[in-house]
Amino acid sequence: MAAPLLRLVGVDVRFGDTHALRGIDLDVAPGERVALVGPSGAGKSTLLGLCNATAVPSAGLVEFRGEQVVDTDAWRRSHGRRIGTVHQQLNLVPSLRVVHNVNAGRLADWSTAKALFSLIRPRETSRVQDALHAVGITDKINMRTDQLSGGEQQRVAIARVLVQGPALVLADEPVAALDPARADEVVALLVSQAARVDSALLISLHTFALARRHCDRIVGLRDGVVVFDRPASAVSDDDADELYRIIPRPTLRSSAR
Amino acid sequence: MTATDTASLFEREIGEPRRGRREVPHIGLPDRRRWLGMSAIAVGWALWSTGIGRTGIVNTRGWPLLRSFFGAVTHPELEGSFLRRIASATLVTGAYAMLGTVLSVLVGAVGGVVMSETWWARSLASRQRRARPIWLAARVLSSVVRGIHEGVWGLIFVIVLGLNPLVAVLAIALPYGAITAKVYADLIDETGAASFRALRATGAPRLTALLYGVIPSTLPDLVSYAFYRLECSMRAGVILGMIGAGGLGFELTQSFNSLRYNEMWTIIGALIILSTLADQWSARLRRRGSTRNVRATLVAAFGLTVASGWYLGVHPSTLWSSRTREQLSFLGKHGFPPRLDGHAWARLWRGAIQTVQISILAAALAATLGLFVAMFASRENQVGRVRTWIVAPFARTLLLLARAIPAPVWALLVLFVVFPGIMPAAIALGLYTFGVLGRLMAEVIENLDWRPTRALRATGAGRVSVAAYAQLPLAAPKLASLSLYRWEVAIRETILVGVVGTSGLGRILERQRVGLDYRSMATTVIAMIVLTLGVDVISGRIRRSLG
Repeated sequence: MAAPLLRLVGVDVRFGDTHALRGIDLDVAPGERVALVGPSGAGKSTLLGLCNATAVPSAGLVEFRGEQVVDTDAWRRSHGRRIGTVHQQLNLVPSLRVVHNVNAGRLADWSTAKALFSLIRPRETSRVQDALHAVGITDKINMRTDQLSGGEQQRVAIARVLVQGPALVLADEPVAALDPARADEVVALLVSQAARVDSALLISLHTFALARRHCDRIVGLRDGVVVFDRPASAVSDDDADELYRIIPRPTLRSSAR
Repeated sequence: MTATDTASLFEREIGEPRRGRREVPHIGLPDRRRWLGMSAIAVGWALWSTGIGRTGIVNTRGWPLLRSFFGAVTHPELEGSFLRRIASATLVTGAYAMLGTVLSVLVGAVGGVVMSETWWARSLASRQRRARPIWLAARVLSSVVRGIHEGVWGLIFVIVLGLNPLVAVLAIALPYGAITAKVYADLIDETGAASFRALRATGAPRLTALLYGVIPSTLPDLVSYAFYRLECSMRAGVILGMIGAGGLGFELTQSFNSLRYNEMWTIIGALIILSTLADQWSARLRRRGSTRNVRATLVAAFGLTVASGWYLGVHPSTLWSSRTREQLSFLGKHGFPPRLDGHAWARLWRGAIQTVQISILAAALAATLGLFVAMFASRENQVGRVRTWIVAPFARTLLLLARAIPAPVWALLVLFVVFPGIMPAAIALGLYTFGVLGRLMAEVIENLDWRPTRALRATGAGRVSVAAYAQLPLAAPKLASLSLYRWEVAIRETILVGVVGTSGLGRILERQRVGLDYRSMATTVIAMIVLTLGVDVISGRIRRSLG
C-alpha cells in the first residue's frame, strides 16, 4: 500500500465526561473508498470531524498527507482546501444562485477580490458547468438554490465538493433522509465522482448493504471504538448484527466509562 | 416561556399587519434587483443634493472644538454638587420614561384589542371581520398619532399645558401608545388568535376568551415589547428635556451651551446607565421569563410608576383645569384651519424634499456603518480570545455610545465641522440611527444558522469571502428589512435634527413656533404626517417583496 493519505493513530476524543472516540487507528490510502458504519452515537461524525479539523483529538495524532491536522487557518488554507465535505444538512445558502453555492467550494483558492467580484459576474463558470454536468443538473446553474428539490440541492452540495479538486471527500450520513432507491443512487454518484477526480472517499452510512455494494473497505464503529476494519467482501451479516445489537443499558454505561 | 427576538418585534411597528400564516408570493431576482437599483438611485440623488464634491462641506476650523469634546471623555465632571444635580435629573428623566411607558402600554393594550382583527371576527371559521367603523377609526387614528414625532407632541403640549411634567409624560404616551397598540394588535392576531378561537368555540364570551386565551399566550412578547418601549422612552425623555421639560436633556443642553464638555460626558454616562438598566432588566426577563418573574416585574413597575408620579409631582387634574381649557380653545382658534401664505408653500415643499433626502442619507449611512460594526459585534463571529474579549465588546460599546448621544446633540457636534445644510443633519441622524440599527443587526447575525459558515471555513476560505458567501446572503433579507424599518423611523426623527437649525421640515416648524404662527405649524405637521405615511407605504412594499 502506498503512503496513506489520511492516518489516525491512537486517537481519543473526550467531551467532558463522555468518551466519544477511544484508541482509534485508521489509515485511508489515496483513492480508497472507505465506509464508516455503526449505530447512532458511535462516534462516526466525530471521526469525520477530526479529518477536517472541525473536531480536535484529546490524545493521539491525525495526519493528512503526512502532516498533522491542526485547527488553524493556516492548515485549512494549505491542506483543508483539498478536503471536501458533504454534510447531512447540506449547509448550502438557500438565497444564493446555484453557481455561487458551487463556487463557494473555490473560495480558499481565490483571492477575496475575485470571490466578491464573482458574486456580481460569476467566474470560472465552465468548471461549475462541468461539476453540475457530472451530478446531472446542468440546467440549474442560474436558479436560486431554494427553488430546487431536496435531491437537486444535495447534488449542488456534491458539485461544490467536486470543484474543490479534493484529495479526500468526507460524507457525513449523506443518505440518512432518503428512500433506499435514491440512497443507492446518491452513494453511487459520490463514489463515481470521487473516483473521477482521483479522490479518496470516507463516508459514514447506516445501511450495511450500501457500504458493501459501493466501498472497498468497511470500518465498524461502536461506542467510540473500532470493532472491525476489513475489506468489504470480508464483512458478513453477522458482523452487521453484532454491530447494531442493542445492549442493555447498564452494560452500555460501563462500556462508556 | 419564550419570547420572540427583539428584532422581529420591531418589524411589526409599521406597515401592514401580517395576516395569519404568511404566504409570500415568490419574487425572483429581477424584482429585488429593481428595488436595489432604485435604492441606489435614491441615495445618489440625496447625496448629489448635498452638494458634495461641488461645494465645500467640511469646516476645518471646527476640528479643535470637536477634538476638545471627544478629549473630555477622559475627565468627566465628578464634583459633588454637580453629581447630585445629575442624579436628580436622572431620576426626572427616568420617571418621565416610566410614566410615559406605563401609560402607552395601557393605551396600547386597549387600542391593541380594538385594532385587532381577532376581536372583531364575525365567525370562528373564517378570518372575515365585521365591518366595524370603530376598528377602522382606531387604525386611522393610530397611524396619524404615530406619524407625529414625540418632540412635536411635546411642543403642542407645552402650548396647552405650559411647563408641566405632564407635557413630557403625555408626549411620550400618545405616539408610543399608538405604536404599541399597532404592535399588540399584530401580536394578538398572530400568536393569540388560535387560543381565542378555541375558547370562543366553547361558548366563552369575548372578554373571557381574551383574558384566558390571548393574554397567557402572548404575554412574553407583550412584556418584551413594553420593555423595548421603556428604553425608547428614556431617549424620548431626554429629547423632551431639551425642549424644556427638565431632566438630563435640559442639563445636556445647558452644559453644551456653556461649552462644559466634561459635564456632558457625565450626563452621557448617566444616560448609558439608565438605558443599560432597562436593557438588562428586559434581557433577564427574556432569558429567564418565568411567570413569577413576570409577576414580580409587574409589581415593580407599579411601584416605580407611583414613585415616579410622586417624584415629578404630576397632577392629572391639570388636564381639566380652566387654564388648560382656555389654552386648548386658544390653540383651536389660532391653529385651525391650517393655512400657509403663498411663498411659504414653496418653502414647505423644499423642506419636505430635504426631509426625505436627510432620511435616505441617514438610513444609508446607518445601514453601512451598522452592518460593518455588527459583523464585529456579534460574538459568534469571533475566533480567538483577542477578538472575543476585545473586538466584540469594543464594537458593542461603540454602538451603545452612538445611541446614547441624542440625535440633536450629534447635530450640534457635527455642525462644528460640517457647514449647515442637509449633510450635517443626515450625518447626525445617521450616527444616532447607526447605534440603534447596528445593535439590531448584531442580534440578527448572532441568531443566524452558522453551519454554512463553519462548512466554508473548514475548506480554508478567508473571512471576508465566507461572510460574502454565507453570512450576508443568509442575513440579507432581515438586514434590509430592519434598515427600511429604521428609514421609516428616521423620517420621523428628522424633526430632531431640524429643530437645531440645520434643514428640513424640522427647521421650518421651529421657525413657525418661534413666530407663534400656529396655523402654519399645523400645516407643517400635516405635511410631516403625509410624508411619513408615504415613506411607510414605499418601505412596506419593498419589505414585502423581500419575503
